[in-house]
Amino acid sequence: MDKPLNNKAWFFVLPVFFLVAISAIIPLMTVVNYSVQDTFGNNQFFWAGTEWYEEVLNSSRFHDALIRNLIFSGIILAIEIPLGIAIALSMPRKGIWVPVCLILMALPLLIPWNVVGTIWQVFGRADIGLLGRALSELGIEYNYATNWLDAWITIIVMDVWHWTSLVVLLCYSGLVAIPEAYYQAARIDGASKWKVFRYIQLPKMQRVLLIAVLLRFMDSFMIYTEPFVLTGGGPGNSTTFLSIDLVKMAIGQFDLGPAAAMSIIYFLIILLMSWVFYTLMTNFGVDAPEKEVD
Amino acid sequence: MSNTPSAVKEPAQSSNGLRILGWFVFVVAIVGGALFAWFKSDSAPNLAWMAWTKPTAIFFITIVCLLLAMSIWEAISPGSGPRIGILRFETTRGDRLFLSLLGSAFIHLAWLGFVGPDLWKALGVSLVYALLVFTLV
Repeated sequence: MDKPLNNKAWFFVLPVFFLVAISAIIPLMTVVNYSVQDTFGNNQFFWAGTEWYEEVLNSSRFHDALIRNLIFSGIILAIEIPLGIAIALSMPRKGIWVPVCLILMALPLLIPWNVVGTIWQVFGRADIGLLGRALSELGIEYNYATNWLDAWITIIVMDVWHWTSLVVLLCYSGLVAIPEAYYQAARIDGASKWKVFRYIQLPKMQRVLLIAVLLRFMDSFMIYTEPFVLTGGGPGNSTTFLSIDLVKMAIGQFDLGPAAAMSIIYFLIILLMSWVFYTLMTNFGVDAPEKEVD
Repeated sequence: MSNTPSAVKEPAQSSNGLRILGWFVFVVAIVGGALFAWFKSDSAPNLAWMAWTKPTAIFFITIVCLLLAMSIWEAISPGSGPRIGILRFETTRGDRLFLSLLGSAFIHLAWLGFVGPDLWKALGVSLVYALLVFTLV
C-alpha cells in the first residue's frame, strides 16, 4: 500500500453526494415510510406495520408480474445477445461502410421509448398498420389487442428492434479492439472460422458482453413505457410487467402503502441482481493465472 | 496478506490514522449538532410530506450509525481490510457490510413470506448471518 492518501479528495465527492441525496436517498426514505403506513390522502397516515409487505409477498398478482417479467427478460437476452454478436461479426471493419453501418445501428437507440411504442402500435394495427394489414391480407390472424401471444410477440419484436443495436455496438467495439496479430496467428495455424470465434473473438468480447447482458437485463426487467403505450398491460393482464403493475397500484388505485412495499421489494431484487453482475464484471478473469486455461 | 509482520503499523502511520479520526469525530459532531439545532429551531424544515414514523427513523439512524462506525474503523485501520473469503474473490469491509444489509433485507422478506410477522427472530437470524459474512466472506 504505497498509494498516496489524500482525504481532501472527499470534498470533490460532496456535490455528487448532495445530488444523490436529493434525487435518490430522500425519495427512497419517503417510500420506506409510506410502506409501513396507510393513507387516504390529505397527508394523513396510519400505522400499518408489515401488513403491506405480507400482502404483496403473498399476492398472486405480484408473483404473476414477477414471473412474467423474468420470462420476458430471459427471452430478450436469449434473442438479443446472440443476434447482436452475429450482426457485429458480419459488420465491415474497414472502409466506407463502417460509418454507414454504425449510424444505421445507432438510429433505433435515438428514438424515445414512447415514440417506439406508438410506432409499433400503429404498425401492428390490423386496420391501418403496415404489419397488421399485411398479416391479415396473408390470412394470418393477428391482433395484439385481443390475443396475448400476439401481444407478447409484438413487444418482444419491438424490444429486439429497439435494443439489439446496443448489443451490436458494444460487441463491435470489442471486436475492433482485437489486434490483427491474433488473426495472423490463427491463419498460420489454419484455424477455422468457428475456432477463431470460439478462441479469439468470444474471449476478447467477454467484458463488453457482460456489460451488454447487464444493461439489457436491467432495462428489460424495468421496462415500462413501450408495453404501456403498445398494450397498456393487456389483453387482460398478460403483458402487465412489474413496473406497469406498480404504476397501476400507486397512481391508478392510489394504494400508496402496498405500492411502496412493492417498490421496496422490486428495488431489493434489482439491487441484488446489480450486485451479482457488478461482482461478476469486476472479478471476471482477475484470478485467471491460477486457473488452467483450456 | 494481513498475517505478515509488515502489517504491524509504523508509529507515524497510526498517529496519522488517529489524527484523521479526530478530524472525523470533530466534523461529525459539528454537522450533527448544527442539524440538530436546525431541526429544533423555529425555521425547521417541514418534513410532514415524508411521513416519518419512529420505527423507520430508528431504522435509518441505525444505518447512518453503521456507516459512521465503518468510517471510524477505516480511520483506525486504513486500507479497508481486503481479503479473499469463501466467495473466492476479494471483498472489503464495505462489501461485507453491503452483503450483510442486503442479505438481512431478504431474510426479513423471506420470514414475512414463509413464517409470519414476528420479525424479531428474523432480526436474530440476520445478525448471525452478518456475523458469518464478516468472519467468512
